[in-house]
Amino acid sequence: MQANAGAAPGRENKMTCAEFQQELPYIIDTGGSAEQEAHLRDCKVCADLVQDLRYIAEQAKLLVPMHDPSPRVWDGIQESLEREGLVKPRQARRSFLGLNS
Amino acid sequence: MKATPAAEAVASKPSSGSKKTTLATAKKILASGITEAEAIDRAKGGDGEAFEMLYGLHKRRVYSLCLRMVGNTAEAEDLTQEGFLQLYRKIATFRGESAFSTWLHRLAVNVVLMHLRKKGLPEVSLQETLEPQEEDGPKKDIGARDNVLAGSIDRVNLERAIESLPPGYRIIFVLHDIEGYEHNEIAEMMGCSIGNSKSQLHKARMKLRDLLNTSRTEKARR
Repeated sequence: MQANAGAAPGRENKMTCAEFQQELPYIIDTGGSAEQEAHLRDCKVCADLVQDLRYIAEQAKLLVPMHDPSPRVWDGIQESLEREGLVKPRQARRSFLGLNS
Repeated sequence: MKATPAAEAVASKPSSGSKKTTLATAKKILASGITEAEAIDRAKGGDGEAFEMLYGLHKRRVYSLCLRMVGNTAEAEDLTQEGFLQLYRKIATFRGESAFSTWLHRLAVNVVLMHLRKKGLPEVSLQETLEPQEEDGPKKDIGARDNVLAGSIDRVNLERAIESLPPGYRIIFVLHDIEGYEHNEIAEMMGCSIGNSKSQLHKARMKLRDLLNTSRTEKARR
């Protein structure tokens, strides 16, 4: 099915793709009006677009943290805490537990 | 860090999930045999070892958040460091009204946003929203495509595409679609309207769609 770029003859009251896509940012996660839902049923281009955008959002939710920071981060934290006097220098010279360096 | 794998797994969940796991989080057992809740209490009293346990438990998630938001390893490490330093200074104010991971996460987001604000990046993106560019507007003549993306995205491609988003789009996308923040929360953090947040997210997803389609086409040509 082609994009409904303008109102087709005999379909003057139907929503165009441009009108639908203008509202899409505000309805994609919540659902639209009956007219918008009707356009989605009738227009494969807009249906594919919505399907793609929802698929991207679904895949993003599955991304998990993969990487640890380098040991220099913990070293920097210790040095800063020592400099600010928030921990005793004796503690700060090396890892409190020796686990994160 | 010797936090148990189970504890690491809980800490690695997206925030949308962590908001629902307050009890589970409080009962996490750390390597030393104390719970996370006990480690928090001890860290409030200035116990460095307890603080290090909390760092070990949450470093991956905080670092990943920073890395995805700024897209630069060195910057992300600096921000992770700053986030945990702020945690050390502010942990006494944690009242347990939300999960600790949620609270820490919000703290880290604020650190990143403050950093980006100093660089002027969010302001640029909001301006873009206020003055939409032609290419961002609704496409009136898209034409039919052969395929949809479904089933074609792998984690590496998606991560790569997110990295190449313009900063303003990337921040909103990471906060909403990866980290699970609602538009009203993002609007509050970013100092923009909910409509702005929705508009930016939509542009980010559209840009990702283009990037992923391009990547798929190039792959098919090889």
